[in-house]
Amino acid sequence: MTPQSRHIAFISPRFAEGPTVGGAETLLKNLAIHAVFSGYKVTFLTTCARNHFTWDNELPPGSRNVQGIEVHFFPVDTDRDIPAFQRAQISISTGRFTPEEEITWLKHNVNSRALMDHLRQHGMEYDRIVTGPYLFGLIYFASMLSPEKTIMVPCLHDEAFARLAAFGGMFNKVRGFMFNSEQERDLAVRLYGMKPQVSAVVGMGMDDFKSDGNSFRKRHKLSAPYLMFSGRREPLKGTPLLLDYLEAFRDRTGRDVKLVLTGTGQCDISSKLAGSVIDLGFVEEKEKYDAMAGATAFCHPSVNESFGIVLLESWLAGTPALVHAKSQVLKGHCLKSNGGMWFQSYPEFEEQLLLLLNNNALRTAMGNSGRDYVLEHYSWKSIQQKMIDALER
Amino acid sequence: MSNAIFEIGADGVDAGRIVAGIQASVAEKMKNGAYTDARIARAERTNIANLKNEEHFLAFYLECLNDAVQVDINDFEIHERRNMFSGLLITIKKTIWKLLKFYTYRLWSQQNQTNALLLSAVESMEERYSEKIRQLEDRIAKMESKDDKK
Repeated sequence: MTPQSRHIAFISPRFAEGPTVGGAETLLKNLAIHAVFSGYKVTFLTTCARNHFTWDNELPPGSRNVQGIEVHFFPVDTDRDIPAFQRAQISISTGRFTPEEEITWLKHNVNSRALMDHLRQHGMEYDRIVTGPYLFGLIYFASMLSPEKTIMVPCLHDEAFARLAAFGGMFNKVRGFMFNSEQERDLAVRLYGMKPQVSAVVGMGMDDFKSDGNSFRKRHKLSAPYLMFSGRREPLKGTPLLLDYLEAFRDRTGRDVKLVLTGTGQCDISSKLAGSVIDLGFVEEKEKYDAMAGATAFCHPSVNESFGIVLLESWLAGTPALVHAKSQVLKGHCLKSNGGMWFQSYPEFEEQLLLLLNNNALRTAMGNSGRDYVLEHYSWKSIQQKMIDALER
Repeated sequence: MSNAIFEIGADGVDAGRIVAGIQASVAEKMKNGAYTDARIARAERTNIANLKNEEHFLAFYLECLNDAVQVDINDFEIHERRNMFSGLLITIKKTIWKLLKFYTYRLWSQQNQTNALLLSAVESMEERYSEKIRQLEDRIAKMESKDDKK
């Protein structure tokens, strides 16, 4: 069979568009767009939610054509028992939970009966169903409906939720996987004992872009060096750690280093850091790239990453990175590219940041190494072929 | 820290080597107490969740806490940001502080005692369990070597 005769459904709890920010959502959307470029007929099934905290139905239900993809928006179920879900979530987070709590967590997670009904009625029309990320009730139930044609893009992290028995069953039932990195695939094999041959490491292609750090600095009247972070602001992404480290760094070294943040989510900035954190919120891609280009380093303190899109973007902008050593994926990228350093504790962070601040030649060389790595390994041409191989397997 | 590593790295960067150099330098400075600092203890509060299984991190964190447990109960210089009536406001603040001192000194010295006792309890637990784990690892190693000989 050729891609031309195939119909692929992509399912994700949110659709990356405008202020709907999220690495997994961006990944699924880009894979869908490039599946269209490869000749597949693509339908994208998602919910009307934009905000990953409230899951309110903000977008109108129905269909729209977005960049050549037919996108169907379905409402999120509004009768979730959120207190029961949160109780189960706390138990699961601590690693001590009952099978009943596991069921409660999945049942009252983000689900959409309307989307599931569509899948029951039209599932036969799709040759492959690409689902992800793994962590949602919607994705679990959708994947289990036709596992023989489901290819997961799990975006798996080493976290308490990954240890649910239900996910073990799901990982061993679906047809195949498109992992983002070798480290993510190895984690899945370790957690679920699945056969490595059913999986492919695909990742996401990165389009090169032009960026101008100087114009960003001028626009925001920034003369001091700054660190940059882009993405969701939440404890799981390590933003509180980054703020704590910056405060200690400024205090201990006396260096005026600022922090530029883009993305969504709440961010508690202490009074000591007021004026040193420039929180831009959601910005256009061009503004984000310019901010990356002007930074001394892009700091990614998350320990739960399956790919790290923003890290690769910062390298395309020619900026070196500082990442948390506990993230095998981000550390792996830095090791392979020589485009960044990894810290395990504050003293290492302090030394590494001082080194980048004091050594411009090293900063430039690391940024260039990172950029070369992304251009060599993450061009859409090679990623697209890997995706076709995974879909046709 | 030697600069040599980084001068070489500028052209053909070896991130692994640079990080290893930094780790060695940090380990050396740690031995000399360069990071026994309450500010670091505060900065690491969220990192504990990431590194809860790292034996060395806990020891380092406890060392930083040594500096953080003591609440500073000494007198401090009293300022006033506002220009108008600043003299008067400073006098009022000083009077309030003098009146409160009797109570806060007692409160905070008790708090300091509690903090110090709790920290030494955690430290002794950490030492005890580290020693137990070391002994168990030795026993396992001996048993494994016996099995190999068989």
